[in-house]
Amino acid sequence: MPLLELDGLSRRFGGVLAVDRVSMRVAEGEVRAVIGPNGAGKSTLFNLITGVLAPSAGEVSFDGKRITGLPAHRISQLGIARTFQVTALYPEMTALENARLAAQAREKGRWRPLGGGATLREAAERGESALARLGLGALAGRPAGLLSHGDQRLLEVAMALAQDPRLLLLDEPTQGLSVEETAQAVETLAGLFAAGGVTVLLVEHDMEVVFRLAERVTVLHRGAVIADGTPAAVQAHAEVQRAYLGGFS
Amino acid sequence: MTVECLNALSQSALLFFLGVGLTLIFGIMRIVNFAHGSFYMLGAFVGYSLARLAGSFWLALVLAPLSVGILGALFELGVLRFLYRRDATAFLMVTFGLALAIGEVARLVWGSQPLEVTTPKALSGVIFLFGLPFPLYRLFLTGAGAAVAILLWQFLERTRLGLLIRATSQNAEMMHALGTDVRLVRSFVFGIGCALAGLGGVLAAPLVTASLGMAVNVIIDAFVIVIIGGMGSFAGSILGALLVAFVQIFGEYYFPDFAMALMYLVMLLVLVLRPGGLLGKEA
Amino acid sequence: MTRWRAALSPSNCALLGAAALLALAPFVLPVYATTLATEALILGLFAMSLDLMVGYARLISFGHAAAYGLGAYACGYVLLHTALPMLGAIAAATLFAGVLAIGIAWVCTIATGVSFSMLTLAFAQLLYAVAFRWTSVTGASDGLAGIPRRPGPFGLALFDSRTGFYYLVLFCLAAGFLFCRALVSSPFGAVLRGIRENEAKTKALGYDTRRYKIAVVAIAYALGGLAGALYAPFAGFANTELLFWLLSGQVLIMVIVGGAGTLVGPILGAAFFLLASQILSAYTDSWALFFGLLFIAFVLFAPEGIWGLLTSRLVRPKARAATPDAAA
Repeated sequence: MPLLELDGLSRRFGGVLAVDRVSMRVAEGEVRAVIGPNGAGKSTLFNLITGVLAPSAGEVSFDGKRITGLPAHRISQLGIARTFQVTALYPEMTALENARLAAQAREKGRWRPLGGGATLREAAERGESALARLGLGALAGRPAGLLSHGDQRLLEVAMALAQDPRLLLLDEPTQGLSVEETAQAVETLAGLFAAGGVTVLLVEHDMEVVFRLAERVTVLHRGAVIADGTPAAVQAHAEVQRAYLGGFS
Repeated sequence: MTVECLNALSQSALLFFLGVGLTLIFGIMRIVNFAHGSFYMLGAFVGYSLARLAGSFWLALVLAPLSVGILGALFELGVLRFLYRRDATAFLMVTFGLALAIGEVARLVWGSQPLEVTTPKALSGVIFLFGLPFPLYRLFLTGAGAAVAILLWQFLERTRLGLLIRATSQNAEMMHALGTDVRLVRSFVFGIGCALAGLGGVLAAPLVTASLGMAVNVIIDAFVIVIIGGMGSFAGSILGALLVAFVQIFGEYYFPDFAMALMYLVMLLVLVLRPGGLLGKEA
Repeated sequence: MTRWRAALSPSNCALLGAAALLALAPFVLPVYATTLATEALILGLFAMSLDLMVGYARLISFGHAAAYGLGAYACGYVLLHTALPMLGAIAAATLFAGVLAIGIAWVCTIATGVSFSMLTLAFAQLLYAVAFRWTSVTGASDGLAGIPRRPGPFGLALFDSRTGFYYLVLFCLAAGFLFCRALVSSPFGAVLRGIRENEAKTKALGYDTRRYKIAVVAIAYALGGLAGALYAPFAGFANTELLFWLLSGQVLIMVIVGGAGTLVGPILGAAFFLLASQILSAYTDSWALFFGLLFIAFVLFAPEGIWGLLTSRLVRPKARAATPDAAA
């Protein structure tokens, strides 16, 4: 049974079909990339999976259960963590406080209005270990707004990890990074994925990043799936499609 | 019934002057202007003095809004200008402070007694509409409201400055990057917004006298109009003014006990159904 | 050891000192000043309750007078029409404001940003309009007058005197402060700060942010209602002004002038507001003019509020001396 299954998922904005009958299955433990040019519907796809947007048609299933139409926070509670294309952090909180708040969402005592020191300590421990896994341990006390752009991107991944997700959705983790920062971030992520234990769905633009990280690739164009397979197979396919996928090399 | 409708129309003209200025200011500067009612009151007082000095209501009708508008623009230049990088509460506080200060200055200059403003001769008396007597001045108000609405709309749609204003409300940073002096546009818009409130004040004075209470009485009405119509929407301020005026006049007539509550109920209903207001973007 | 050291931190010592000063105040202050101080503490509690929403969750309410007025009217009504003692009436009014707030918050949190603010205003004005017309319960424009400070339970008359009432108010403020401080440093408080800084992200992390917002509004209303419930037997009356938007604007300004998101700041802001208006009105009839200009000056020159001014002057030099590069 696949961990994530999309079945004929569509989303219409006015007259535009942003996501067009997308069906795909992501197996447990897989690292899957979704690629495609700008406007191919990749971010919309993420918003449909995570419940930020409601689909116009189709179904999303997670771990065999239908999750279509659930509110975003419920879907997150099921174990789907995500990062955003435009970095979304709490700039005035320290890196550790960011990670702690993420970890706290999985704690039983997250609601506690008074006391709850134990909950906070436990969440902080899990936040700390998530920071360490992404090499951000030394920056724990720094306000997130003052981190470099590259570290901010990684902090967002750390926050997602601190939630102990079963499925990790990464929306262009190297977006806006310099060449060196990208190389470094890719190595960090590759190490993380190699350690196993988490299923990843990754939206990416940069083919080199995709080749380094993903085991399997799905190509979106104008909202629809046009190819699906191993990176090498897709690249062969993509070469043919170069005429309209332009940006690939 | 006919008379109530006509009354509501003239009332909505007054409310429109208030609401459209507030919505312009919010749309372009994201400022919730608590002093808006005070500019309205100031218009009434300045209009009263000018009419007595010059002996002409018509002169006051031109000069009072102008001076109120200049005052508004000066406030933008002297205070608001330094706050655009801060959050919305900063504007709330300075305009609240300004409202207090204007109220007190008005009390010092004009006293706390309401001042009668006489209806200009040409507009006093009644005319018969559909066989019913109707005050000529109220008819004039309705016409003035419609005229100002059309003029403003044409100004925003047709002129270069109007285009700049609309573009700035869409994306101030982009306009700045394109070389527009956004700061000038802001001063100008704040001035215009205040002048429109002042115009409403001058025109309202013959009906309700000029008094210190005006500022407080109308500021909430003005907010309700803008919220119902959609903050920053020009057409929304017309729709909001009409809706509020009709609810007020008919509420007063048919449900005098609930008239005041009715307006807020309508506002709640609109916001629950469309949080951004009737013609506003999703807020 | 560490627990003790944390308990004796400079800020806690300062708070204990302030509490001790306030506890001694009635012995040194002249009678009228005790009355004034009582009012300042009531307003301080009111402003602090709003700070929970404004300073910690960025929920800017333009209608917090609703909480105050609800508390005052409810407490006044109970004292005038039932045999319940004052303490019972105050508790009932607090609960009443908090429970009603759940419904109000449920509607208001449909919207966000300016629309949220306007919905809170609409509710407050709606209550104002109701208070104006529901003569049999609210006394319309006359309001409720002659609200007694009924002793009890068990004939307990401790809080009925001027000084006794002062201590009751001081106790409520201190308890309210400790409660709020525990609240904002709890897991719940951490989520509120998350909502303040980035609500969409907080939702994505799996928090049902709307429920947190409704909860904090209900708590803020209950505490604001407590302040109003104390005001009714303090002043002996409740009128529509306690529900009017002007009071909502004033309390918001107390919060911001004092320093939002600090809990202590708004209490100082309220005291400053009351004192400044008293002092200015003793010297000039035009106090509102100077008051208005003072606010504008605060926004322009002291954006962090009174608390920000105090802490940057008093605490920062110490912090600087403690860092090695400043010592070198």
